[in-house]
Amino acid sequence: MTELVGNLTLERPASTPPRSYWSMAVRKMLRPWLVKLSTLYIALALVISVLVPFLASSKPYCLMVRTSHGWVTRYPLLADLTTRDDLSFVAAGLVVALCIAWRLTRGLEMLSRRRIRWIIATVLISAAVIGSVAIGSLHQNRFDGTDYRALVKSGAARGAIFPPIPWGYAEMEPLSQNAINQLPTWKHWLGTDRNGRDVLSRMLWASRVAMGIGFVSQAIALTLGIIVGAMMGYFGGIFDLLGMRLVEMVEAIPTFFLILTFIAIFGRSILMIMIILGVTGWTGYARFLRAEFLRIRQLDYIVAARAGGLPLWRIMFRHMLPNGLTPVLVSASFGLAGAVTIESSLSYLGVGVRPPTPSWGGMLNAAGNPATVFHWFEALPPGLALFLAVLAFNIVGEALRDAIDPKSLS
Amino acid sequence: MLNYIIRRTLLMFPTLIGMTFIIFAVIRMAPGLTTAGGSFAPGMLGAHQAQLAEEHFMERRLHLVNRNGKPIPLVMQYVNWIDRILHGDLGTSIKFSEPVTKLVMQRLPVTLTINIISLIIIYLVAVPGGLLAAIYRGRFMDRAFGIGSLVLYSLPVIWVGSMAIGFLANPEYLNWFPSAGLHATNTSHMSYFQYVSDYAWHITLPVICLSYGGFAYLAKQVRGSYLENLFMDFTRTAKAKGLPPSAVILRHVTQNSMLPMITIIGMTVPGLLGGSVIVEKIFSIQGMGQLMYQATYARDLPVIQSMALVTAAITLVCYLLVDIAYHAVDPRVTYD
Repeated sequence: MTELVGNLTLERPASTPPRSYWSMAVRKMLRPWLVKLSTLYIALALVISVLVPFLASSKPYCLMVRTSHGWVTRYPLLADLTTRDDLSFVAAGLVVALCIAWRLTRGLEMLSRRRIRWIIATVLISAAVIGSVAIGSLHQNRFDGTDYRALVKSGAARGAIFPPIPWGYAEMEPLSQNAINQLPTWKHWLGTDRNGRDVLSRMLWASRVAMGIGFVSQAIALTLGIIVGAMMGYFGGIFDLLGMRLVEMVEAIPTFFLILTFIAIFGRSILMIMIILGVTGWTGYARFLRAEFLRIRQLDYIVAARAGGLPLWRIMFRHMLPNGLTPVLVSASFGLAGAVTIESSLSYLGVGVRPPTPSWGGMLNAAGNPATVFHWFEALPPGLALFLAVLAFNIVGEALRDAIDPKSLS
Repeated sequence: MLNYIIRRTLLMFPTLIGMTFIIFAVIRMAPGLTTAGGSFAPGMLGAHQAQLAEEHFMERRLHLVNRNGKPIPLVMQYVNWIDRILHGDLGTSIKFSEPVTKLVMQRLPVTLTINIISLIIIYLVAVPGGLLAAIYRGRFMDRAFGIGSLVLYSLPVIWVGSMAIGFLANPEYLNWFPSAGLHATNTSHMSYFQYVSDYAWHITLPVICLSYGGFAYLAKQVRGSYLENLFMDFTRTAKAKGLPPSAVILRHVTQNSMLPMITIIGMTVPGLLGGSVIVEKIFSIQGMGQLMYQATYARDLPVIQSMALVTAAITLVCYLLVDIAYHAVDPRVTYD
């Protein structure tokens, strides 16, 4: 206490880098085992949704085919990747690269760290954008209808290495095999559906639809909510009044009715569903951020920043947003749960993603008319996967909320 | 009080008007609105309905274009639309070829009844549950209730609904409940008691599906609100003057904790209405949700825009009633 003013040092060992409020909350949240399990489940679903073309496909990774020149090695799975697969790889690669870069630059000095991170982020993001544009314009989706299993069986090919689940999501067993609505067998680990398609393969492919729509739609909703909420909270006055009326209007129309209205008008491609869920789901985020900004606006350091003549965007997005974002990100966890539920409900009703693209909701619907012929073994896996995903998001959200609750600081 | 009601009611109108702007703008963005029948997939509608759709679009064009063939300005289109709504004309459905007003009038009572019953059940379960969780806070009861309500909240209705029909309303497994509809076919021969019990039997599964997800949110709020009041000065005073614990909790704490629960009624209503789309589809109940689903599937624009408008109006009226009730219970709340 003697040197309180003269020599003020932060009581932190030099070896550990400084932690933000957010990282402290995450650290605290991850303590209970149930939350760890939920996070693992979400991570697993994400990894599966990115890597699913390599996990469940009827095409072998590689095989040797007999041609007039002798045996030639082919890579049918790689050749068969679609633009959507490539784009998801690019997006996942970008996220992973950013995480690694953040981790590596953690030990650096504050100012140089910030600059280096800016440069890395700019380079990576522009590379990803250029890459996806290039892929989008150059890549041609081919349809490879070859039955490689028959090829291997007939002896025209050899050395084929198939993925762990050697069935595509739209691949039907021939009718002659009588393989419709089968119980689990060694060939089909979770049985087959009413079209003779492998349920396990469709489950994995559906996780991509669920996670993709969930995360992208909530990213759109977050962006909209942050922009509107920041404007309302910072400027107040007429912005606040009009913005809050807009929020009230959007919230007063029951979400599902609003979404169905949009779908009836704008169609139901996957991209459109992402946009619709984003456009209808931003109000909660805007509310939260507005409340935070109203509080933060009056704090001393913002007054100081304003008095120092910092530009507006810098005050709003560098000084205020990092401090007000945590509650918004907590509610994003619940938003993800909601988006995944809504996506599968839409598919269940038959107004979601179009078949044959699998979705957990669509698979539930395909389990038969429950009142007459009900194949519970087809309804169980997708329902369980959906339930666990929603539960995991909700558990993580609850834990995060407890972690940032000042009343429960420990 | 009257002053408050009038001011609060007037405050509802700007929101309602803004909402009509949004709905009008969204519907106007529909592709193919100005070209006769152009946007309809022919396979979706029968020949008769396709013709009706054509007629509808001709009628539409009359709303868009005046008698001389000149386009009506957007503002006047909006004014005309509002004018028709105020005269009780919501347009004519393409799929059902009936006035939308009539359809809504047929189906609104069905949905409202089921939703109100669900709301009552949610409160009957969640309030005692939240109270018990608050009293036994931190102990096993509290934990179990917290986890249980989170699990219920996360259970997707589509899964529970189809599993419930598949196992409980299926001759192959257990045939306990009817799988569809609200009434048996021979209602005209029933006595009043039989009629009511038949109705209750039919709505059991739909009401369970509609209400179980609502427990979690309400119970959490109830628990929080009880916890807050359990440590208030007035509670300590009540205990100190020797009242039995039941009287302390039921009279003093509960009365003060009821306030936030009134607000939550208003917040639950849009969720219930939205949920009824799925539940009514699963259980084949001819209500508003089913109508919305059928309209979306057939791209029945007049029905869709009316449904958005009607459900939004219901929600706003609920908010209004809740605010008034809140004011009546707690006069400290003022409109600002």
